[in-house]
Amino acid sequence: MNHSRLGSLEDDEVVGRVYDARLARRVWAYTRPYRRAVAYSTVLFPLLAAVDVVQPYLVKIAIDDHILRGDWPGLSRIGLLFLGTLAVQYALRYGQIYLSTWTGQRVVHDLRATLFAHVQRLPAAFFDRNPVGRVMTRILGDVEAIGEVFTAGLVAIVGDAITLTSVVVVMLMLHLRLTLLTFAVLPILAAVAVALRAPVRRAYRDARTRLAHLNADLQETISGMPVIQLFGAEAARARELKDLSDRYRQAQFRRMGLESLLYAIAEALGATVVAALLWWGGIEILGGTLTFGVLVAFMQYTQRFYLPIRDASAKFSVMQAATVSAERVFALLDTPPETGGAVVPAVGPSGPAVPVRHPPAIELRDVWFAYPGAGQDGLGRDGEGAPAWAIRGVSLRIERGERVALVGGTGAGKTTLARLLTRTYDVQRGTVLVEGVEVREWDLVALRQHVGLVLQDVVLFAGTVAENLTLGRDVPRAMVEDVARRVHIDTFTRRLAGAFDAKLLERGANLSHGQRQLLSVARALLYNPPVLVLDEATSSVDPETEHLLQDAVNELLAGRTSVVIAHRFSTIQRADRVVVLQHGQLVDEGPHAVLLRRDGLYRTLWELQYGPGAPGGRAADAAARA
Amino acid sequence: MMPVSVLGRYLARHRVRYAAGVLLLIATNACALLIPWVTKDVVDALGGAGRSTATRETVALGALLVVGLALAQALVRTASRLLMLGAGQRVESEIRADLFDAFLRLDLAFYQTRRTGDLMSRATNDLQSVAMLVGFGLLSLINTAIVYAGSLVAMLRIDPWLTAVALAPYPLLVAVARRYTTRAHAEALAVQEQLSRLSTKAHENLSGMPVVRAYTLAPREIAEFRTLNEEHLARVLRQTRTHGLFSPLLAIMTGIGALSVLWIGGRAVLEERLSLGVLVAFSGYVAYLAWPTMALGWVLAIVRRGFAALGRVTEILDARPGIVDGPDAAPLVEPLRGEIEIRGLTFRYAPEHPAALRDVSLRIAPGSSVAIVGTTGGGKTTLAGLLPRLWDPPPGTVFVDGREIHTIPLRDLRAAIGFVPQEAFLFSRTLRENVAFGAPEDGVTAAAEVAGLASDVARLPRGWDTVVGERGLTLSGGQRQRSTLARALLRDPQILVLDDAFAAVDAETEVAILDRLLERIQRRTTLVITHRLRVASLLDRIIVLEDGQVVEDGPHAELLARGGPYARLWRRQQLESTIEAAG
Repeated sequence: MNHSRLGSLEDDEVVGRVYDARLARRVWAYTRPYRRAVAYSTVLFPLLAAVDVVQPYLVKIAIDDHILRGDWPGLSRIGLLFLGTLAVQYALRYGQIYLSTWTGQRVVHDLRATLFAHVQRLPAAFFDRNPVGRVMTRILGDVEAIGEVFTAGLVAIVGDAITLTSVVVVMLMLHLRLTLLTFAVLPILAAVAVALRAPVRRAYRDARTRLAHLNADLQETISGMPVIQLFGAEAARARELKDLSDRYRQAQFRRMGLESLLYAIAEALGATVVAALLWWGGIEILGGTLTFGVLVAFMQYTQRFYLPIRDASAKFSVMQAATVSAERVFALLDTPPETGGAVVPAVGPSGPAVPVRHPPAIELRDVWFAYPGAGQDGLGRDGEGAPAWAIRGVSLRIERGERVALVGGTGAGKTTLARLLTRTYDVQRGTVLVEGVEVREWDLVALRQHVGLVLQDVVLFAGTVAENLTLGRDVPRAMVEDVARRVHIDTFTRRLAGAFDAKLLERGANLSHGQRQLLSVARALLYNPPVLVLDEATSSVDPETEHLLQDAVNELLAGRTSVVIAHRFSTIQRADRVVVLQHGQLVDEGPHAVLLRRDGLYRTLWELQYGPGAPGGRAADAAARA
Repeated sequence: MMPVSVLGRYLARHRVRYAAGVLLLIATNACALLIPWVTKDVVDALGGAGRSTATRETVALGALLVVGLALAQALVRTASRLLMLGAGQRVESEIRADLFDAFLRLDLAFYQTRRTGDLMSRATNDLQSVAMLVGFGLLSLINTAIVYAGSLVAMLRIDPWLTAVALAPYPLLVAVARRYTTRAHAEALAVQEQLSRLSTKAHENLSGMPVVRAYTLAPREIAEFRTLNEEHLARVLRQTRTHGLFSPLLAIMTGIGALSVLWIGGRAVLEERLSLGVLVAFSGYVAYLAWPTMALGWVLAIVRRGFAALGRVTEILDARPGIVDGPDAAPLVEPLRGEIEIRGLTFRYAPEHPAALRDVSLRIAPGSSVAIVGTTGGGKTTLAGLLPRLWDPPPGTVFVDGREIHTIPLRDLRAAIGFVPQEAFLFSRTLRENVAFGAPEDGVTAAAEVAGLASDVARLPRGWDTVVGERGLTLSGGQRQRSTLARALLRDPQILVLDDAFAAVDAETEVAILDRLLERIQRRTTLVITHRLRVASLLDRIIVLEDGQVVEDGPHAELLARGGPYARLWRRQQLESTIEAAG
């Protein structure tokens, strides 16, 4: 499964491959709209290489043809030419940096937008398994690492390769013997690099794993701090952490030592090449087979030759990181989104005026449901392997315009049932039909616009009051204000600075709990779905707000098919029918008055909530809640 | 303390290493700077100064000298890097250790106000930046200074006039760099700001996903994200433009230096005022200056970032815990008996918060068992947390064995109280280590027996050696709670506090565990916070807390007869169990 792959990748070692053709092809596909820029920057590389090669050659001409011959006008011409190459070089570099970053960042941002859009379509089950932080890392961090390929990774490697080749060609053309001499140390450099590669890699991996270990332990220490302090384990924990920290430092030191060694060897070899050039070149100059200019040019070519080789390892680690990130990003993109059907049933106006027989607004036929993954994690669960059913064989018909109250104890399955109606999850057995069409066949957006789900947990977004009510839809202000009046939020809204345009603080921190509930009712009223599924808030609010809230909910439910997870007496009393759930099963249903007379589970629940022999009413309601 | 003085304190401890490193750095650069000098002599001998005086031998000697210098340079550079970077790693390690000590010392009030993510980021990202500062940053900074000074001296010795020519572009470079730094800083901030908006949006969206789904908000969310994303792109590209204009400039400046030497120096050579060797040597020096110059911007960024990070780390290092031993704390001479007395205790979590406990007074006899019940938010957990001073009660309100608890050393107090918290926390290590948690490991089996954990251990794949916790095997909630109970029991505390420790097991199991517990640990004061009145009814006495006040206090039978809040709660729970039974 993709989910589990995502999970396991999270803590994976970053020792992946440098290049993966399949991933590279997928990243390459994202450059399609920018191929022109890619083409331009491809042209820039040979040009840059040409400038790199020309400059030492100009030095050669300056020395051999002008300085040593006392030709000042000639030297000045070369000087001007050199200045010209510098100007060209500057322009080319600028163009190259800008174009490669431009392409890279465009790809990054496209990929990020695609990823974000894809995540919006992932099923609820995905979010149950993947913490927000992980998805954030994919969208923000990993995508950026892929962009590095364009600025510092593959693109730079290609550029370096072109420069290297040009330098070699020119050197060969200038002086064969000196060129061979320059390359004489290459095998040594290669041998050293090969010999040190494995130890350096191991040292890197050691340092990284030990750091990861240290950080994991620290994270746990911080989370478990109360336990550590209560049990007086501070000193022992400090020792353990210090131990891990020391082990990390040792690995770091080893890594650093190897790196310094590699660096020193490269530097010494570079200087040796200069010495060899000096020696052999000196002899050839004495013999008249070499000019000073060529010797000086060779010294400069040597520098331009070894610099990219020295920086190669940095570029390869950029590629490695990018490959790992690309793998994670594409694994997320490959996670299948929830797919709806194509059916958008034409639903006529509700109400008794139309004498046509309508299918029931909602129908459940022997529905069984278990949360994905439930019953598999952990030990000691009863019935190994069998799913932990949250809903067991529920069948239910809700007619158009009917108001149904769902009641039951904690964990009876009320919220789960509500979620199934909007296809937040897919049922394992049985069928859920809305307006006579199976929910799997419905177009998802149409389904969720038809069946509105209002959750107990009020989520407010950063933005104004009005934006939180309309949720960005184009709704006339008059309508917003009308709804606000109907659910009693206009009074307190007008007290805010800016009224409906007042900014809500993060998560509505400047609103009381009751006010947030009212906002959520107003939001649902503006959304105006034909069928409403409401999870009534359980948390207590002051009596005044409570009164307003009841009023607002009545306003919301009026003239609508509705399923309410009811906690308030008034809501239950006004329901056409009460459905009683227990342990995921439908155990009883009927009008409140009928059920109450029946002396079953409902009666007990009722007495529990409102006291034995409760006649109902606000006083009893409030007492039970206190 | 200021970050600079904090850094000075740590660096001073390794001054010998740093000093030796700097000396070697000077030596290695001296070797490097001598190479162009030797080249100059060889070139001049070959006829660069007019007439050739060289033989094959003098050329070979010069070349050998260069090889020798190169080897010495490489060797000495490695040594200097090992010394300085090694010292940097030691400093990093010491700051990390001090940070860990600070973490372990700070109290719950501190952790309440900070998110784990923020603390972790200081211990990881910030520490990494500090490590860069004290290691590579410092090394590069000093190296750059030495290279500049050394080159300047060498060049001045050869030809002051040509030196002036070669270095002419540098003042311009400094001026440009200064302008660039200000602009780059502002642009980097703008990018950071937008990134934070983008990340806030993503976070809000992902955590509000149920609403996004229910209200079919995806199109709007995608559009909003796209707008923020576009703006981020625009800012990044603006930054790129500046970077693209400036960064090749450094290389070009070096090129202009080389050109000046070639052009103006070349004229001097053709007028025979200078030798060709000098020209070659100067080109070498200009080239040697190129890399430190190009890296300077990067090094300065490391330094700036390092100091900012150090500031954030220092904040933690300087934080002082509020809960420490009182000034007159004296060690316990004999074990506590476990008598608890609370006198007129009013407690707020912060001055601006409402009181969580209001004028609570009660006395609990040593060896008795007491249940604390009441509604959520009534103050039960607060009361329990004050005993081991997870939160600090006002002075003169809480007494154990007649001693005001601030006069008991924190270590002794906590060792005497076995506290089992609501949230059963297990570390990612073996179950044995989790239960022993520093105490002798031979008692774990007995403790597990009492806690009702023994049969679970037998069924684990590797028994006591099974690694549990976040990175190990996931135990069920009940198993976790029984493990933490065993952890507390193993220490044989005089006072046992169970803070709603069995919410995850069913009522039957809780009653069974408590029954066994009361039987085994007689003469220990036991405080049980619970929502289940059947459990409470097993204990000697029941305290009902509501809105931070004691509303009822007495044995089960007595409270039931009184017909007050406890009796109402009891009836309610009876009904609930009827419902349970009906299923």
